Amino acid sequence: MASVAARYDDLKKLDVEVLSCSVDSHFTHKMWQEHELSKMVEGGVPFPMLADTGGKIGTLYGVYDEAGGVNVRGRFLIDPDGVIQAMEVLTPPVGRNFAELVRQVQAFQHVRKTGEPTPAGWQPGKKTLKPGPDLVGKVWENWKIGD
Amino acid sequence: MSVMVGQKAPDFEANAFHNGGFKKVKLSDYKDRWVVVCFYPGDFTFV
Repeated sequence: MASVAARYDDLKKLDVEVLSCSVDSHFTHKMWQEHELSKMVEGGVPFPMLADTGGKIGTLYGVYDEAGGVNVRGRFLIDPDGVIQAMEVLTPPVGRNFAELVRQVQAFQHVRKTGEPTPAGWQPGKKTLKPGPDLVGKVWENWKIGD
Repeated sequence: MSVMVGQKAPDFEANAFHNGGFKKVKLSDYKDRWVVVCFYPGDFTFV
């Protein structure tokens, strides 16, 4: 969570709110913030830290591990209509890549605004595709790997 | 998985710690906003 907190401004600029969620109580979140997170990131975690006691929310989203009694690392990007546009689920030992989250937000926001699909590895300013009959079989002429 | 991309995100409500205080947070409070929900195993773990 500290890594997300450290780059929270990048998400703020994109008008994205973050909600973090574990089975710990809100009281434990307070302790974690005061005793550790605030020492890792200036000001600590700036977004709401949710108490998913019993894993009810995790169960709804399919990320609650009953055997371990915890939520695994699930990340869900939800658009302004409340629709899930992206999700990623990792087992606990591997942390997430924040840069990829930002890239996905930028790409989904671009698609929402323009309707243009974004090719693999797309970054803002890079080429998009204009789907239509003329593009069938011609992607190779219009887009190269690395574009 | 009980959820799917392209489908509505299930609403939920939870107690939360935020800005030094406690409050209730509902996903539907964030309607018309982009939201990232990040699940993780637990506070005070290492990754």
